Amino acid sequence: MIVLKMAFRNIFRQKRRSLFTGLSVVGGFALAVIFIGWSDGSYNSIIDQFTRTRLGHIQIHEKTYLDRPTLYKTFADVPKIGAVLDRTSGVEAWTPRVFSAGLAGAGDQSAGARIIGIDPQREERTTRFEGTIIQGRPFRGPAAREAILGKGLAEILQAKLGDEIVLLSQGADGSIAEDQYQLVGVTSSGDEMTDRIAYYLPLSTAQDFLVLGAKVHEIAVVVSKLGRVQAVSRAIAAGLADPALSVEPWQVFAKSFYDAMKADQAGLWVMLFVIVIIVAVGVLNTVLMSVLERRREYGLLKAVGTRPGGIVRLVVLEVLILSVISMVIGAGLGLGANAFLARHGIRFGSGFTYGGMVFDTMRSEINLRSFTIPAVTVFVSALLVGLFPAIKASRTEPARTMRMH
Amino acid sequence: MRKLLVLALAALTSLPLLPQESPPARAEEIVRRMDELYRSSTSEALVEMEVVTPEWQRTLRMRAWSRGMKDTFIRILEPKKEEGFATLRIGNEMWNYLPKTAKVLKVPPSMMMSSWMGSDFTNDDLVKEFTFVESYRFEMTTPDAPEPGLVYVKCVPKEGLPIVWGSVVLAVRESDLMPVWEKYYDEKGRLARDIEFKDVRTFGGRRIPATMELVPAAKEGHKTVLRYVEAKFDIPLSPDIFTLRNLQAGR
Amino acid sequence: MLFTMKLAWRNLFRNKRRTLIAGIAIGVGLASMIFTDAITQGMLGQMIKSATAAYLGEGQIHRQGFRLTQEAGLTIDGAAGVVAGLEKDPAVEAFAPRAEGFGMITSPSDVSAVMVVGVDPSRERRLSRVDENIRQGSFFEGSNARDIVIGGDLAGILGVELGDRVVITVSQAGGGDLSQDMFRVSGVYRFGVKEMDEGFAFVRLAKAQEMLGVGDGIHELALKFKDINFATEKNNPFWAQYSVGGNEAVSWAVLLPQLRDVLGLFWISLAFMAVILFGVVAFGIINTLFMSLYERMFEFGVLRAVGTRPSGVRRLIVFEAGALAVLSIVLGTALGVVVTLVVAKTGIDYSGIEFAGTAFYEPLYPALQLRQFVVYPLATLAFTLLIGLYPARVAGQMKVADALRKSL
Repeated sequence: MIVLKMAFRNIFRQKRRSLFTGLSVVGGFALAVIFIGWSDGSYNSIIDQFTRTRLGHIQIHEKTYLDRPTLYKTFADVPKIGAVLDRTSGVEAWTPRVFSAGLAGAGDQSAGARIIGIDPQREERTTRFEGTIIQGRPFRGPAAREAILGKGLAEILQAKLGDEIVLLSQGADGSIAEDQYQLVGVTSSGDEMTDRIAYYLPLSTAQDFLVLGAKVHEIAVVVSKLGRVQAVSRAIAAGLADPALSVEPWQVFAKSFYDAMKADQAGLWVMLFVIVIIVAVGVLNTVLMSVLERRREYGLLKAVGTRPGGIVRLVVLEVLILSVISMVIGAGLGLGANAFLARHGIRFGSGFTYGGMVFDTMRSEINLRSFTIPAVTVFVSALLVGLFPAIKASRTEPARTMRMH
Repeated sequence: MRKLLVLALAALTSLPLLPQESPPARAEEIVRRMDELYRSSTSEALVEMEVVTPEWQRTLRMRAWSRGMKDTFIRILEPKKEEGFATLRIGNEMWNYLPKTAKVLKVPPSMMMSSWMGSDFTNDDLVKEFTFVESYRFEMTTPDAPEPGLVYVKCVPKEGLPIVWGSVVLAVRESDLMPVWEKYYDEKGRLARDIEFKDVRTFGGRRIPATMELVPAAKEGHKTVLRYVEAKFDIPLSPDIFTLRNLQAGR
Repeated sequence: MLFTMKLAWRNLFRNKRRTLIAGIAIGVGLASMIFTDAITQGMLGQMIKSATAAYLGEGQIHRQGFRLTQEAGLTIDGAAGVVAGLEKDPAVEAFAPRAEGFGMITSPSDVSAVMVVGVDPSRERRLSRVDENIRQGSFFEGSNARDIVIGGDLAGILGVELGDRVVITVSQAGGGDLSQDMFRVSGVYRFGVKEMDEGFAFVRLAKAQEMLGVGDGIHELALKFKDINFATEKNNPFWAQYSVGGNEAVSWAVLLPQLRDVLGLFWISLAFMAVILFGVVAFGIINTLFMSLYERMFEFGVLRAVGTRPSGVRRLIVFEAGALAVLSIVLGTALGVVVTLVVAKTGIDYSGIEFAGTAFYEPLYPALQLRQFVVYPLATLAFTLLIGLYPARVAGQMKVADALRKSL
């Protein structure tokens, strides 16, 4: 207890030095908190931007669909699944889709096409589909006899708004599926290869055309907090409890994108590590200097009988108490800054449009690990850093040091 | 559709006519008969095609005209949903007529090769424009469990030709050399597909098997059956048949 | 002036331990800036590489219009001249010519649509990674014209193995005849990416040219540059230089606009994080400098007492700050270089952390660049000098009596 009191007193006795050491920790800690909050937040912002448009965060399919998609791998009961989704916490919106391949034609031109049936209202709410429309307008309703083409396909077919675009494919009952739909819109998704073959139809129209009845190939789900996507995915799977369906987060169905993103993560850990090192060195610097300056004191303490262990404890306690106080302050500052950045984010320049969404802000994120990781690492490094000078201090020879100065 | 005719022609003409030693002389005779069985300068036929898959089953009835090996015109008559659908192929170009929209759609070359109507025929059947007569080496053979009254010929494609089979075994009736079945094997000797010929009948003076049943070995539950209801060979055909105008006529 | 400098320097080394500690503290800050910069460059370069090195290349040259329609007739204009130019071009590390067309591949049991690509094996090896991902067979070893290399997924769909027969059908240039030929599977690769493993069939260049009926024409030249960042610049004269005579040369940014966008976002995200990092470093410098100077206020008080003018003391302090900065720069740059070089050799292998590993996961290599050794040290010097102005002012302004009474 005495040691504790002494440690406290020492801290407040040398205000300036304590201040410096403390500031070192405050600054480093706060910045580490902001660093993690920002890296998590902006990482998720980027992923969100790219998966929310078109793909969604989570997808539901018939079990073997993703491996080898075919027209026949469908599932029904969309309303029932929808009810489960609406009940699952974390789900923000969902939308059903059907897919097939066919031949599209306009005038003398024809080209292979990927038929995509979408529910206009739900698709808009989930992936902001309407934002990708660069010409014309969205579908009037889920049963409209209208088509929206990808930019590249419209170009290849030399199609203009209002033209009838013929579509030939095969129905799920083996019959020939042929019809024509009026071009009401042209989309640009940001992916050239998709736009070259995309032929969108309203969902019911597509289901009729492909003789699918009420069946669909996919339900895309968007979650409110991207960081929880895997937990939500598991919750949905549990809620559906259907072994014939699979529920996958974007890390699975957008694997190549995921791989590209992973490259980012390690670099960040490295940077964090560097920050911790800097903070540790700063603390070491100030503590060491302070210990060296106070050798006379320690000599005196030893002369009056304090054991080396006691001195070690004293120095280490000083460092720890200081660190804890600083960490608390630093945490407050850091979390406060994160909260601000999470709400307001940082606008960058003119922003850009991807998949129809204007993206000009990146946000920070408040999460547990933005506090715990710095807390643990700064605390541990302060401890370790304090040990070295403490041991040095405990080794001072009373006689020699008291003769100094 | 034309593919089915071409298939019929091709399958049966894909046997060599190269003269070899004495058993091959018999084989050659068998093969030549096969070759000439379905070959004609022109033809007009009423055909039924039944396609069976694990997911659905359909029977189409169509009328088909052919000229040479490349020009075909096919119009679907039944079922009602597809009535009026037509395909025209001239040389290397292909068009479809879509009755519901009354539009003609040109089929891009790359898509000409995908399965038509979901049947089991592959692009091999489509592009066999050149005679395969010279493309195989052949010999009489005896399978493990030979049936009485049948003779067998084994044909192996010559190296370097764009043929995907390892070998083809043809079984014909000893009495009239009518084909009974044809089995296609891959190079490892695994059966890839099996065509059975049934119902030998006379059409316009020719005796041919009216029914051909193709079963692909790799795909469970798939089968395509082709049946000639009527057929006429080497008859004069108006060139107007093989025109876009006829395609668009819709009937 | 010179005297002050000498004095400053000598002062610094009077208390070796303190100077060393302070120098190391600032030096570590500098080293970390250099290292972080290198890591960041490495990261961004890595992302570009992972998207382009597999097959696409960092840039491509085509005939105009080919990218949209993929028509076999649209071969590169004056290909021989373009190739000659590329061979001489100092910025180009490798290039691979390709003749390609959409077609079908058939096996005894199935048929699949596929992009048939004719490649020049030795050139292709230096550019794309198909050869590095061969799991069975080889990437066109030998000289058999009937070699075909396909992805594992495609082999599965077709039910074929090494050595099995397949037939390729493509339509010739000029919208004409269909061309068919027989091949034997000589290699099977696996990227773990469905589009790659399912959608391509590689044959020898001459064979593809023959089947597509393009003579010795080629449809695509994939490019790899010596510097991964070369292709990033939109206004790089390279693109204009090769976009002549009916051709167009485009970078990966045009071919993969999503990658370009993702990288842009990363840049912004990283920039902010770099600001944070620099903040930490700056903080450390301020801390260190103030500490070491404030310790010695007594000393400076003595100097004032014996008659040194305020300006003299100010100058001394600033010079001391400068001297410390120089020392720190030496230490820091050395440390930064060493650490970066060491890590550059071994790379940071993070396949074990957090996420399950993928097919091939490259370690992260920091990228050393000259400007890192110029910009950051100079910035540190300037900043330290700037910071030193404050204690200098305090020392200059203090009352001598107060200073002499200062004890810590």
